[in-house]
Amino acid sequence: MNIVGVDIGGTFTDLVGCIDGKIVTSKTSTTPADPTIGFAKSLELAHCNVPELGEVLHGSTIAINTVLERKGAKSALITTKGFRDVYAIGRGNRIEAFNLFFHRPKPLVERRFTFEVNERVNASGEIVTPLDPQDVEALAEQLKQNGIEAIAVCFLHSWANPDHERMAGEILRRVHPDLFVTLSHEILREFREYERTSTTVLNAFVGPRVSNYLGTLETYLRGENFAGKMNMMRSNGGVMSLDQARAQPVSMMESGPVAGMIGAGRLAQHLGLKQCIGFDMGGTTAKSSLITNGEPAIEEGYVIGDHASGQPMQLPVVDIVEVGAGGGSIAWVDEALGLHVGPRSAGADPGPACYGKGSLDPVVTDADLVLGRINGGRFLGGSMGLDVAAAERAIELKVGKPLSLSVKEAAFGIATIADTNMSLSVRAVSVNKGVDPRETAMIAFGGAGPLHGISVARQIFIPKVVIPKLPGTFSALGMLMATWRQDFVRTLVGRLGALQESLVRQVFDELAATGKDRMQRDQISDAVADFRFYADLRYVGQEHALAIPVSGPDMLVGDTSKVRKLFDIEHDLRYGQAAMEENMEIVNVRLVITARKDDTIAEEWMNQDWFPTETAEETSRDVIYDDPAKPHRARVLWRPALPAGFELTGPAVIEEPNSTILVHPGDKVTVTKSGHLIVDIANAG
Amino acid sequence: MKNNAQAHPITVEVVRNSIVAYADEMANALCKSAYNMMIYEVRDFCCGLIDTQGRMISQNRGGLPIFLADLGVAVKDGIKRYGLDGFKPGDVLIMNHGEVCGQHLNNVVIYCPCFFEGEIVGFAASRAHWVDIGGMRIGFGSTITSEIFAEGIQMRSLKIFEEGKRNDTLWQIIKDNVRFPEAALGDLRAQMACAQLGARRYAELLARYGRATVEACIEKIWDQADLKVRHVVAQIPDGVYTAESALDNDGRTLDKPIRIKVTVEIEGDKFTVDLSEMNPQTPGPLNSGESGGIAAARVAFKALTSPDLDVNEGCFRSLNVVIPPGTIVSARPGAAIGLWSIALPTTIDTILKALAPALPDVVPAAHKGDMGGCSFYGFRNDGSRFLLMNIFGGGWGGRPAEDGEDASVSVCQGDVRNSPVELQEIRYPIMVDEHALRENSGGAGKYRGGLGVRITYRVLVPCKVTINNERTKIPPWGVHGGGDAAHNISVIESHAGGERTVFKGTEIPLEPGDRVLFDTAGGGGYGKPDERDPRAVANDVAQGYLSSDLARKYYNYTAQAAE
Repeated sequence: MNIVGVDIGGTFTDLVGCIDGKIVTSKTSTTPADPTIGFAKSLELAHCNVPELGEVLHGSTIAINTVLERKGAKSALITTKGFRDVYAIGRGNRIEAFNLFFHRPKPLVERRFTFEVNERVNASGEIVTPLDPQDVEALAEQLKQNGIEAIAVCFLHSWANPDHERMAGEILRRVHPDLFVTLSHEILREFREYERTSTTVLNAFVGPRVSNYLGTLETYLRGENFAGKMNMMRSNGGVMSLDQARAQPVSMMESGPVAGMIGAGRLAQHLGLKQCIGFDMGGTTAKSSLITNGEPAIEEGYVIGDHASGQPMQLPVVDIVEVGAGGGSIAWVDEALGLHVGPRSAGADPGPACYGKGSLDPVVTDADLVLGRINGGRFLGGSMGLDVAAAERAIELKVGKPLSLSVKEAAFGIATIADTNMSLSVRAVSVNKGVDPRETAMIAFGGAGPLHGISVARQIFIPKVVIPKLPGTFSALGMLMATWRQDFVRTLVGRLGALQESLVRQVFDELAATGKDRMQRDQISDAVADFRFYADLRYVGQEHALAIPVSGPDMLVGDTSKVRKLFDIEHDLRYGQAAMEENMEIVNVRLVITARKDDTIAEEWMNQDWFPTETAEETSRDVIYDDPAKPHRARVLWRPALPAGFELTGPAVIEEPNSTILVHPGDKVTVTKSGHLIVDIANAG
Repeated sequence: MKNNAQAHPITVEVVRNSIVAYADEMANALCKSAYNMMIYEVRDFCCGLIDTQGRMISQNRGGLPIFLADLGVAVKDGIKRYGLDGFKPGDVLIMNHGEVCGQHLNNVVIYCPCFFEGEIVGFAASRAHWVDIGGMRIGFGSTITSEIFAEGIQMRSLKIFEEGKRNDTLWQIIKDNVRFPEAALGDLRAQMACAQLGARRYAELLARYGRATVEACIEKIWDQADLKVRHVVAQIPDGVYTAESALDNDGRTLDKPIRIKVTVEIEGDKFTVDLSEMNPQTPGPLNSGESGGIAAARVAFKALTSPDLDVNEGCFRSLNVVIPPGTIVSARPGAAIGLWSIALPTTIDTILKALAPALPDVVPAAHKGDMGGCSFYGFRNDGSRFLLMNIFGGGWGGRPAEDGEDASVSVCQGDVRNSPVELQEIRYPIMVDEHALRENSGGAGKYRGGLGVRITYRVLVPCKVTINNERTKIPPWGVHGGGDAAHNISVIESHAGGERTVFKGTEIPLEPGDRVLFDTAGGGGYGKPDERDPRAVANDVAQGYLSSDLARKYYNYTAQAAE
């Protein structure tokens, strides 16, 4: 089957595909106003014949950018009477305990667009106050008049009984068909009203924009006679169908970044790296993730944006730490003459000053060019010439002059500050978790990852850096290795041993039915699907629970000794103690369904023997590494021409179509049998 | 800890991050396996690593600010009693003694020694709020005790495990003298595992770098913190600054306010907080030991000098706290201290108020000023005993360039969370009828104070409620011309009709269907109301934060002007 993965970031659109058994790639600028342009261009550049594609995988930063820029739909929220402000109050906590100027999360819905309806369900799911449909109809009219585009409905205890939410949803969708309606139980059937509300509102807020975007994309592809499947990359590291993505865009928040980490995990397995850090530097941000035994860590929910004031999102997500430093991050000088880099980014348009589109804001890429670290003639495989003079002018104007520095000194300062910002972030995924970077390896990818990764690794003494094949489009490659994945949850509270058997079976049956329904809609056959149930268990009296794998409802009714033993072991492992004599209770049942892919061609390609695809003459040029006054004469090599087993010692620059590897003096590079580069850092530790 | 080992800058960074990461990991283990909501939701705990002299190596981030580097006091008492040679691997100690710790007895410290290559190298400890510790009233928060012996059992540096063997006598005493033994012993187990984890991690760190190197790094980290803090203190204009406010009463003599008076002296890079003129200790339980006064001074000091630095011994070297025995924040041994933390938010706000004229760009108006919470106690229909506790946020004061935040927990509570309504209704025989922002509760000003919260409980079984409202006579104040905020108030509505306002009351009986409404205070305003941007006023009205009547009164707002 022919398959392509397209990853649209803030700056670049990357494609990796497998066409007639061969890997194809392309990289092009993102057009923020209409991302389908970049999509089309990347297909064209890779010579993909759209009607012959069997599957298109896609990752995009559109959902998360909509939240971070607060540029989502005009949204409203409907709550149970008395609970209008649950969303604004949140949990009342102040994470920055000593900060008198703290900020708590700022709601994405204005209070004047938060409405209450008279209804109430209790914790057992019984209806205490019935919902009057007329109330909802009246509200729907009011929403229309206010020009509301998206609405979130979150009623108290809808995890236990979603009937009222369903009723409200039907009415809203009927009266106001253009409205993007999100019902909390459809997103997350788990108790805790604030976190569920926040997740539901996030879905509503990004919904219309993401849905429109995906609609445009689909129209384009179908217009090109695409007849295959289209799947979206989601935050949990798996993929989902286009239809589901349009209804639940909140689950594609980390759509872009996770694919690269999935790919890095597979590579780590292949290379036998037990503990490593995936480092992905693109145009606007740098992201890192700790990967243990080939698996990036998954978290049940996280916060979008700043840790103290960001928006809680309660769906499973690959644990990634991000910092606003990328090739396009703008360098600027404040009133006190402090030099900063980012978090603002020049994006694709106007892009760096060196793109020659008239921008006067110097960015990291401009500095790299001025320092001789990248080759203006070979950027993006030579398809885009870079203007060194324009880069120098911008650096001179915005940084050099104010600080009385030469252009080279200013450029060196910009690159150093960017590297320091990133090394703090990489440190956050390692030493902050008690892992010494000296005992890890880095897998560096993304357009700018191989260029800056080695500097970052040097700063925090990571001894080894791996630059995979196709580093510049590695996230798109990772997509080809991601499996279809769905996470479902149902709250079920009760004491183990005293659970009502029929209720337990019902919950499992409902979960399985929801999953099968989803499989059917996405045409996933039983033969490839893998069902894994988990029970969130705890000792009676505890609050936090641990997810323990269970084969089915039988483990929770009748003889429960097996699940209890599994729990005791896990509890001891995580928290250093177990209470064998304590009663236990269940809180949630979870179901994770994954569907094996029919093809493993991307994995095979990553591990297959490497042979040079081109020949090229070695050249050399002056490159500034550590002293603007003393450039090093560096060897310049073309990666597609380097054979397996090739070795060199820096200073050197290894160029390839979509990326550049900056090798520092003394660092030793080896090309592996499969064509990945291993860089052993000089004097590490 | 003096030694000549080299502290390589990168090793210092690794040690700096590691020791805090270990404390955070301890906190996570405790929080995730704890049995009571005061730990897992309210996060009324702290944990960390202590050196062999009782000094704080590191403390977890988040958690309760008032637990500032005060675990050392508890550990020092153990060192004094047993000597460093008196600790063996496998020992676990329990400590909540009122005279030594100065906090209500519910706050139980569990710690264990950390060994490396056969030598004792430090301790790992946690302090956590147990639901109940025995005594004449359930939980805590009773206003009726007059000496500590009525407030629960005291355990002073006792080994609950000795070389891995449990002291069954002590275990049995605890089990038989607290109201929720499963929760208490569950928390004890969680705290023990948390301490053992910390000790294990610290030993791993020493194994990686060697004891001398790690200790040199820790010294370096303290010195760096101290240097940064001194630099900030030196920027504050020298002088003597005084401020005064008051608490309503001690819950017993209702017409007698309690004086909160502080003096701050800045001299170069030295910062002195003098608490000599605080109200004398009271006969009721509104007292704390000296550690309460020190905690209040430290919170205010840290907020002003190093809000973003990790907590360690070095952060407080330039702070001097003057505090004679016998005040409300330095009560003498034997005094009732059940409500030990009640005076602290106001004391902290008063220290900030003293410095407001000297630091107009740094000090906001007063915040809600109390700890904000409730407890309901009774028996479910199946006969089981329950105790519901929750914490409420309130308004924070307007700030030099922006409005105060709404609905946030007090300055004494950091990453403390309110309890989800759905969780409370799953667990307890109550229903919550309303959880909302309290409109019109913020103080007027150029930058207005944040709003308080309203939460209304309806009880479904006969039970009792304990209410402790403070600061109803001196509500959260404005600064630089800003107005005061609405104060705390609670109302009990009988299902049979009739309602009454309650400020303080212990174990007030309720019948099924009775409702209790809690309205929490807002924050004070910053700057004169007539300097407020009219668009901000119009928005407050449009969003329902402020009624148009009050907008007219405070800001001369008219609907036409808004358009």
